[in-house]
Amino acid sequence: MPRPEIEQITFTVDGREVEAPAGTMLADAAKLGDVDIPVFCYEPKLGAPVGACRMCLVEIEGIPKLQTACSTPVRDGMVVDTQNPRVKSAQESVVEFLLLNHPLDCPVCDKGGECPLQDISFGWGRGETRFVEPKRHFQKPVELSPLIAIDRERCILCYRCVRFSQEVSEDYQLILHERGADTFVGTFDGHPYVAPFSGNIMELCPVGALTSQAYRFRARPWDIEQSGSVCTMCPGQCNVSYTVRDDRVVRVLNRQNDAVDDGWLCDRGRFAYQSTYVDERVTGPLVRENGRLVEASWDRALATAAKLIDAAGDRVGALAGGSASNEDGWLLRRLMTEVVGSRDFDSRPAGLLSAGLQAALDAPEAQATVEDLDWAHAVLVLDTEPVDDMPVLDLRLRKGIRRNGVRLAVATSRPSALDPNAELTVRFAPGAGEAFVCALDAAIGGVGDVTGLAAAAGADPEAVEALGRMLREAGDDVIVVWGERLTHIADPERAANAARALLKASGRLGLLDGRTGSGLLQVPSGGNGRGLREIGVLPNVAPGFSEPAKVGRSSREIATATSAGELDVLHLLHVDPVATFPDRALWQSALGKARGVVAHAAFLTEGVAAHADVVFPSEASAEKEGTVTHPDGRLQRLRPAVGKPEGTLPTWQVLSHLITALGGRATALTSMMVTTEITEAVPFYAGITHDEIGGFGVRWQDRDASEDFPAGDTGPFSLDAPVAAASPNGALRLGSFRSVWSSPEVRHAPALKFLAPKQRAELNPDDAADRGIRHGQRVLVTADGTVVSATAHLRTTSPRGSVFLETGLGDESASALQSTEATVPSMVTVESA
Amino acid sequence: MTWNPDSDVVEVARGPEPGGLGGAYRVFGETLRGLKTSFMRVVEGTHTVEYPEEKIPVYPRWRGRHKLHKFEDTGLEKCVGCSLCAAACPADCIRVVATENTPENRVSGGERYAAVYEINMSRCIFCGYCEIACPFDAITMGSDFELADYNRSDLIFTKEMLLAEPMVRTPLRAEGE
Repeated sequence: MPRPEIEQITFTVDGREVEAPAGTMLADAAKLGDVDIPVFCYEPKLGAPVGACRMCLVEIEGIPKLQTACSTPVRDGMVVDTQNPRVKSAQESVVEFLLLNHPLDCPVCDKGGECPLQDISFGWGRGETRFVEPKRHFQKPVELSPLIAIDRERCILCYRCVRFSQEVSEDYQLILHERGADTFVGTFDGHPYVAPFSGNIMELCPVGALTSQAYRFRARPWDIEQSGSVCTMCPGQCNVSYTVRDDRVVRVLNRQNDAVDDGWLCDRGRFAYQSTYVDERVTGPLVRENGRLVEASWDRALATAAKLIDAAGDRVGALAGGSASNEDGWLLRRLMTEVVGSRDFDSRPAGLLSAGLQAALDAPEAQATVEDLDWAHAVLVLDTEPVDDMPVLDLRLRKGIRRNGVRLAVATSRPSALDPNAELTVRFAPGAGEAFVCALDAAIGGVGDVTGLAAAAGADPEAVEALGRMLREAGDDVIVVWGERLTHIADPERAANAARALLKASGRLGLLDGRTGSGLLQVPSGGNGRGLREIGVLPNVAPGFSEPAKVGRSSREIATATSAGELDVLHLLHVDPVATFPDRALWQSALGKARGVVAHAAFLTEGVAAHADVVFPSEASAEKEGTVTHPDGRLQRLRPAVGKPEGTLPTWQVLSHLITALGGRATALTSMMVTTEITEAVPFYAGITHDEIGGFGVRWQDRDASEDFPAGDTGPFSLDAPVAAASPNGALRLGSFRSVWSSPEVRHAPALKFLAPKQRAELNPDDAADRGIRHGQRVLVTADGTVVSATAHLRTTSPRGSVFLETGLGDESASALQSTEATVPSMVTVESA
Repeated sequence: MTWNPDSDVVEVARGPEPGGLGGAYRVFGETLRGLKTSFMRVVEGTHTVEYPEEKIPVYPRWRGRHKLHKFEDTGLEKCVGCSLCAAACPADCIRVVATENTPENRVSGGERYAAVYEINMSRCIFCGYCEIACPFDAITMGSDFELADYNRSDLIFTKEMLLAEPMVRTPLRAEGE
């Protein structure tokens, strides 16, 4: 559905003429005239109003009875009165009714002081009650989940949490039990409410009925300060507000930015702050001594790292992880190119695309924004699982489908959480993304051998045809949300072929023409993947997607070169390739062979703990300063909310010191000066200042400097024949995924620990039956002699011939099974343990 | 309305003109009158209170050192750690860190209790707002005002100090005294 044109109308509220967009609900429109109408159940983020609490009753001329302002759209010439005695008495009565059963435990309630019910009772209530009967009583407090406590006595039955669960996150877990005064919120069968977005209901609750277990009794509103920043744990880059008490983060709230997060947060972003204050965190520099990492002074750690890098000459490789800010990435790049003289650095876990193709995929004309997803005609989710890779995008897609009739198609190998909402789902074999995009291109263009290509991708040809037809006929505004994983192919030729096919297919749909509301949206595999790409933390790309003088090694080539002894030192910036990159065995041997490993890490993950010679502590999210770039090109600013652990240097300063120690010229004295260096070097960032970025960020595509974006390689292309997915032939294709809960922060945060994933093998029930495997049974997954044990998890939606295992779980990871020659997807056998 | 300057004139009351014999006589008379008051105090005897050996009892509404209270029957603390006293405090001298009561460790009557309750007496202005703000009458102002110490950090009173029955150093004025 296209974005509707909204005209302005004029109406009168309390004698004031107010101009408002037509169709706005009265409760919102009145605010434009500085008239405050109290509400409890109304929340525009939740979609259509329900009018459940009756707090917003107003008098409208021509309508005999009082109307709810939250569910009455304004019309031209409407005359509204919110102040007359009739309205006043209705408001007082509603407050009195709501307080009948509300306990008077404000002093012990966590909401006390920031509670809409307190504010509205004070502002619009009668001030006394006539109710003398005993109040309703429930057992309190009860755990709704390990993260949320529910106090059912305090609930005013506004439905907000139930509506969130039913209509926004669509996990359909929360319902209202019983009737009348006995009504209470809970899950249908009493199991805990565990969902990726469950924490949002605590912020929605207008009373203290739903409170955070982690924040329980930690502070009161006058003890705390709010400090805005951006979460960097995934590419979603939700705007957050850290609640700080005594220089410690005690809570994370959303900071609504409609262009980024719509005011929602996932539970990982909401509770991972706890991992800042655990003993396992690295809070000072460590140096390896007699095989063990021991605490060392900053001077010694810096000298050791400088000596290691100096001794290696230009035989140094570097990797930057997704949580690295633009500033960290930039200084790493300068260290490598200007001081060390090596171009072997990368920010992608696998795959390599030419600067031209990268530029074509990231071009401003081809860029769709997150907000465009609200009003697109059709959206294709291609080889990414939003709820795992960029959680907040999942809610955005659901919103578009539910409220604006966006048509969704999902094309992935693993069944997606969005499947039930999709008009069309297509499955292809794991690792056969290239063949699938080629088939899709043929289907959209109506040329070529769709059947053959679909078969090569392990997909159903009819479904691919139907997908092509749907995208072609949906309308002008089509958006393809694609995962960077699509191009994570070891062979650069094939990665390029996949990118070309994607560009070709997009070209056929007119996504590259610069039309607002349509285009591509890439979901990078690292939180700041786009920023690192644009400032040139890639072996073959200079800042701003220009061609460099010399091309270095990509991450995979760095691994092979280090294993072969061609690189001596590895510099790991907020990344542990053993834990997170594909091909675990190769990285383990690379780190083992490396003569020196310098790491910046917050936790001693396995690769860092086993192989790093020097570890510098990296900042927690709330301690970080710098800028990051959102997948749709929005530069956002990280502001430190709390101080770093005593005596700790920020990462940019560590890198600066290393540059100086190695004889380079450190030009930056502050993080802001690094930002300036970046905006001077990247043509399309030119002139962006911290002030311009402000609280909500700025998209560089919206600025004049975006004209300096280099022309990308947009074809016309002729596609190579893709490599066909291997036929299962008795074995199973190995697919991998990384769940939202798989990160060191989740493993270490006390509140989130229970969510840390354990390895499970997702199988189709028929495949399982062939092997005599039951749901929940322990199984052994074997490839080339490597064995990983897992719990069988049968999913009827899982495609036949494939098994999916999780990555990022140490020895048990799917990456342990992925073969070194990753040109074809790994084949595995599954048997019961 | 027209301006009428006459109504603005204020009559100035002046004393008798000084000067001459009459003036001298009047000054002497007034001095005697004053001295009469002084001599009458002499007859009354000494009024000096020999503090600190001797103390004046304070009135019941005197605002001295704070006290935290417990329930007499159960022995549980009345304070639930709601921090309202800290919010009301104009000198910002109260710090409360609350924690949850558990069945094994029940400290207060409510769901939460104050794990840390500190008053910085060197900052306190003894306004009594904390007592007014307290919804559970857990904190009251006591009678003690002798709080001087040699060390500022010793003036931070912890929860244990505030809960303990204070040494009776200041007598309280009895009813009708």
